[in-house]
Amino acid sequence: MTLETKRFIIAALGALFLLSLVFVQWLEVTRKAEEAGLRQAHVAVPASSKSCVDCHVQTNPGIISHWEGSTHAEKGVACVECHQAASKEADAFLHYGVTIATVVTPRDCARCHVTESEQFAASHHAKAGNILASLDNFLAETVEGARLDFNPHSPTPGKAVESVNGFASAFSGCQQCHGSKVALQSTDGGMITTDDLAPDANGIPTNLDAVGQIVRDDNGRPLFHPGTWPNTGIGRLNLDGSRGSCSACHSRHDFSPRRARQPENCGKCHLGPDHPQKEIFEESKHGVAYRDLKDDMNLDATSWVLGEDYAAAPTCATCHMSGHKRNGGEITHDPGERLSWTNRPPVSLVMDTDINHAIVKVTDPEQRRALIVDTAENKRDRMKLVCSHCHTPDYVNAFYQQYDDLVILYNEKFAKPGQQIMATLASQGLRSKTQFDEEIEWTWFYLWHHEGRRARHGASMMAPDYTHWHGMFEVAERFYTELIPQAIEIVDHAAATGKGAQAREVRAVIDSILDRPEHAWFREGAEGEAEKIRKEMERRYGQGLKTGP
Amino acid sequence: MSNPAEWVTERLPISGDQLRELTNEPVPYHLKRWWFALGGTPAYLFVVQIITGILLAFYYEAASTSAYESVRFITEEAAFGWFIRSVHKWAATLMIAAVVLHQMRVYFTGAYRKPRELNWMVGMFLLICTLMTGFTGYSLVYEQLSYWGATVGANIADTVPVVGGLIKNMMLAGETYNERTLSRFFILHAAVLPVMMVMLIAIHIMIIRLQGITEFQFKDELDTDGKAATPKTFNFFPDHLFTELIIGLLLMIVLSALATIFPATMGPPADPLVTPEVIKPEWFFYVAFRWLKLFTGTAAVLSMGFIVFTMFAWPFIDDWIRRKTRFQEASVWIGIVGVLAIIGLTVWEAVVKH
Repeated sequence: MTLETKRFIIAALGALFLLSLVFVQWLEVTRKAEEAGLRQAHVAVPASSKSCVDCHVQTNPGIISHWEGSTHAEKGVACVECHQAASKEADAFLHYGVTIATVVTPRDCARCHVTESEQFAASHHAKAGNILASLDNFLAETVEGARLDFNPHSPTPGKAVESVNGFASAFSGCQQCHGSKVALQSTDGGMITTDDLAPDANGIPTNLDAVGQIVRDDNGRPLFHPGTWPNTGIGRLNLDGSRGSCSACHSRHDFSPRRARQPENCGKCHLGPDHPQKEIFEESKHGVAYRDLKDDMNLDATSWVLGEDYAAAPTCATCHMSGHKRNGGEITHDPGERLSWTNRPPVSLVMDTDINHAIVKVTDPEQRRALIVDTAENKRDRMKLVCSHCHTPDYVNAFYQQYDDLVILYNEKFAKPGQQIMATLASQGLRSKTQFDEEIEWTWFYLWHHEGRRARHGASMMAPDYTHWHGMFEVAERFYTELIPQAIEIVDHAAATGKGAQAREVRAVIDSILDRPEHAWFREGAEGEAEKIRKEMERRYGQGLKTGP
Repeated sequence: MSNPAEWVTERLPISGDQLRELTNEPVPYHLKRWWFALGGTPAYLFVVQIITGILLAFYYEAASTSAYESVRFITEEAAFGWFIRSVHKWAATLMIAAVVLHQMRVYFTGAYRKPRELNWMVGMFLLICTLMTGFTGYSLVYEQLSYWGATVGANIADTVPVVGGLIKNMMLAGETYNERTLSRFFILHAAVLPVMMVMLIAIHIMIIRLQGITEFQFKDELDTDGKAATPKTFNFFPDHLFTELIIGLLLMIVLSALATIFPATMGPPADPLVTPEVIKPEWFFYVAFRWLKLFTGTAAVLSMGFIVFTMFAWPFIDDWIRRKTRFQEASVWIGIVGVLAIIGLTVWEAVVKH
């Protein structure tokens, strides 16, 4: 073999080697960039879902586009992995040769995300569907709507309205946050829910009569009751017996961690007049810092540990759920794990919880000790660990003192007295058992459900305006100018209509409350108090209270 | 005091003539072709690695608790840290590529044959040292893949019969990856292996100087009558040194461009409790990694050992084939198959996810 031939061989093999090196390095650089989160990962559609993607990219390009940007797509988790169903599941149907279900439930997600689903199941979020038997639900289904379909009373030009759905407010309102009881249409015109299906531990229905009544289309696809689906309420009651909806926070089909980390995500539900946590956050220094420093929050990172991956500002997820440096980066899907008060009920309760994560309400200390599994102090300590990334212990403890003081002030001055007056009116038969049919019931509801919560939530997250003007100010106004006068009016009316004994009982309660020193100003005047405040102002600032605007 | 030249000569008794003789080694004319100058390229890159390596070592901390953070500091905070680290990373890649090209040239031109068998073996040792340096360097970053790559590497070593357990233990400083492993890798990467390579390079060059460079004559160097002309040579200094300098400067441009356009990144930090879905070594081990996946356990390791042994002993095997058979050019065909196999296995491992 001549030297020239060998030269050609070396040149050819050398060039091939260099070309392969360039190719391999290109793959390497791409892989490393994906690992470092600098580039969107290449998505390979798994064979099992290829036909789904090929078709849905034409029919629903938005779904495929979202999925392609997801971590699921990077890791080869596609349509079938989540939507697959056992043929015996109530909502399963054969779709181009694959048995799937439309609704993906926490039971489906738990096939991979076991710990997360267990934490979620223990959370108050998972129980949000309990509202379906609550006062709020009565409001939506009866007061705002009607628990029946009723005839329209006049024509709607351009639209043939044959009947009015009395549940519309509950379906589109409450249940979109709290979760619906997902229902399939029944051949008898009704609904088939998890109650009818009685699913076993694996989510397979045991009541086959109910399964037989499911209405299906020509392709065998079960038809959902349109009031209950679509729904991504966080406490959704699913057909397989599971509770909740992971997509409530982890929006389908991109399941974006970035989105779940941002307050806007929680703001789908945690806002408005009764629980404006998002607005409260925005008013607080935390929210101000977040708005300013969002770009430094590393929101796209795979790991999002406070103190390691970011420390610029907190979001809802930071304090209530995410991992941080001091707990080894451990995330929880139970946002109640770090809450020491529940400010949801009329009177705030300390979050001492039992084995079922329910609040222990008994007052006997021995009984409490026996029942409590996780104390409110433990929960508060967990939150303090988060706080400690940016604040000193003295600062955090003093904040909690301010917060406790506000909650206790509200509880003792307005909530417990209000609750006592309402209970006495009911026990004495001076108000009906039906809620919201008397003015004072609306008054009381506004006081604790809207204004009282705003005050307490405002204090819990350092939003002074919500604590005071949107909170305690309105609580006081509602209490002194509406609740007390309306209660006295009921008493006077009762006394005038032959219910003197009952009237005296209620009056005694009102008097005992108003005789307390904290309410003394209301009856006796507070001229002396005003003078004291004026003098204090002069001492502090060298000028008295200004009069006028 | 006498003039400075005399002052030096009195203390270093080397004459200018001796120095000229040492540097004016006549170099065969074919070295004018750049692809015969590839042996100097890895040497040049080795110098780049030493300089950038020293700079990186100023900041690097070889402890499992601080290694990742120190690399992050180099990459994100230290002045020009990202550049130095990226040049170090790319120079490693180019160095291995240059070693392979150099070895290919030597192989296909039969330059390993008598009397140069020993230098081929020294070169093989240099190849092994280069790969080991790459392996230990990759582990120092202490990100997920480097941690698990080292763990997998140690487990592969463990499958070697008889001595496997000992090798693994020596590598990891214990049965499993522990807090002493990193410092071991660091010392190997930054001290033991470089010193060995310096000594091997010295021996490599010394043997070249003693035996002279293999001489080739291409057709265009023949006389008009087609007969071999008197071999043409040129001086090492400055002619060949300039060739090497040009290659070196070009390499520096390529390195800077690669480091700037594709800077070294960082994956997630090592987590002994979470096994990544995909474990990949550095690209130059792809061929071995894919080979190991094709066979099982000990068979894979032993076959690999056999291949490496064959490569070491190739000058003698080739000599035996040429003497005992009529296949005088068998080495060329075996080489073509070998190179294609290396390229094929490397690309195969690169494109598959698992």
